[in-house]
Amino acid sequence: MQIEPAMFLIVGYVMIGGALGSIAAHLCPVGGAPAAMGTATGIATGTVQILLGAVVTGLFTAATVSSFTSNILLITISGAVGATIMMEVVMFMANILYAFGCGVLPISGRVAVDPITKAPQTAYKTPQTDGHGVPDVVFVSGILGGFTGGFGGALIYFTLLYYSNFSYGTAVIVALSIFVANAILAAYNVRGTIEGFQDPKFKKLPNELIPSIVVSFFCGLVVLAATIALGGL
Amino acid sequence: MAAEAKPDEAAPKKKTLSFTFPFKETELALIAGIPAALIAIFTGLPAVVKGLGMLLCLLWGADSVRKTSKYGLGTGVPSIGLLGIGYGIVGALMGLAVASIGSTALFGGVYPAVLLGAIVMGGIGYVSGYFANKERWIAMKIPRLERAMAELGMAGSLVMLIEMSIITGSLDFSEVVQWVMNTGVIAFMFILSSMGMFHPYNACLGPDERRERTLTVSLEISGLICVILGFTMLVLGTSAWGVWDPLSLIVFGLVDWVYFYRRYIMACMKECYATVGTGLIKTID
Repeated sequence: MQIEPAMFLIVGYVMIGGALGSIAAHLCPVGGAPAAMGTATGIATGTVQILLGAVVTGLFTAATVSSFTSNILLITISGAVGATIMMEVVMFMANILYAFGCGVLPISGRVAVDPITKAPQTAYKTPQTDGHGVPDVVFVSGILGGFTGGFGGALIYFTLLYYSNFSYGTAVIVALSIFVANAILAAYNVRGTIEGFQDPKFKKLPNELIPSIVVSFFCGLVVLAATIALGGL
Repeated sequence: MAAEAKPDEAAPKKKTLSFTFPFKETELALIAGIPAALIAIFTGLPAVVKGLGMLLCLLWGADSVRKTSKYGLGTGVPSIGLLGIGYGIVGALMGLAVASIGSTALFGGVYPAVLLGAIVMGGIGYVSGYFANKERWIAMKIPRLERAMAELGMAGSLVMLIEMSIITGSLDFSEVVQWVMNTGVIAFMFILSSMGMFHPYNACLGPDERRERTLTVSLEISGLICVILGFTMLVLGTSAWGVWDPLSLIVFGLVDWVYFYRRYIMACMKECYATVGTGLIKTID
């Protein structure tokens, strides 16, 4: 069997995509159960659900674009834009529900002053809570998270579609599976809730990045083995 | 009605009111894993037998989710069920890719090499469990997480392989792509199978959670998945035995669902009166 550059690209791109997925999980504002009661900053659901929603939207746009082009940048960036739009809509609607439904202000619980707009945060925070809603800095972080996650998911999708030569459906579902496994390992690292890059928990990212890269490397090897066995190279 | 179970008489023998599950966790893994692996290999079996294999596999997965999640994951129970099925799809891809090695057309098709996918995903699950548990990396410190994640990877791969085998009646890669991947059936297989794994413990966790009652929910969801897979087979017309194969799967699913749903509700009603309170939720300061 001849060694071909596409073999390294398959494993490498799956690794990069998985690592981007775990970075995205650290950037997205995840509030978990406390946010459902309005007592923590972020969207009121788990990391996995948010990332799954974002990457499914990203893969939808990436798959649509891949039906008329095979340019890697077009496909990955359209995936990233799809995931970003999904994240933005969810964060915006969460803010509307918190502001007009619960009557709480979007306030970060982890920083005293917003690092981007310099708006004071602590004075507006309800005592005994951990912030509410999606304030400016968290919104920016969520946009970055959506972009990174969608890019990673679409990169795995592109690899499976054009290097491994799987069908559209197979490429989408396998990309989703590899991405979800990485996002879940990242979710375990942040223990369920995180605000974004201003959160102290974000500093734990290197602890998770190495396991995520190792697991993605093994998944990439599995995809490579499947590609070779099917004669897709 | 079951709720009127004479509280004063029944109080001392509370556990005897309801059924108990005969197997321990390791026994269940063996009892579910080995038949499921055999059912995954022989694709010529009737859909009902394959449905039984899927039921056993989901039971195994739900038990693994339960024994991991009771220590508290921090991210909700669904995450680990989705992890299992996510690994399962990668494992099924691996298994399908090598399925033609050593396969024969005897007994309607035998594909022993597909188990390689389950074994590889067991290994990857062990690696991720090691990283998740290790102090240096993610530091979850959950006892036997490595084993549970390996079991989830294997159970997930077997569930996906058996479901693909139910739909297509074979494990040939091109047929699976044609009937499962390109039709979009894989999407609901993904989410419903993960439901079968994570929903039982997600729905039942709390004070006085009991393994038998939790696993009944898994059996009941398997029945619903059988009904949906049966309808899919009927619509796609992929069965080698005409309409009797999908119809028998639908009937099996309905009987399974009615029986275990009824049993679960009865168990809940009989056991709920003696649930111990845990006090108020602690405040922050």
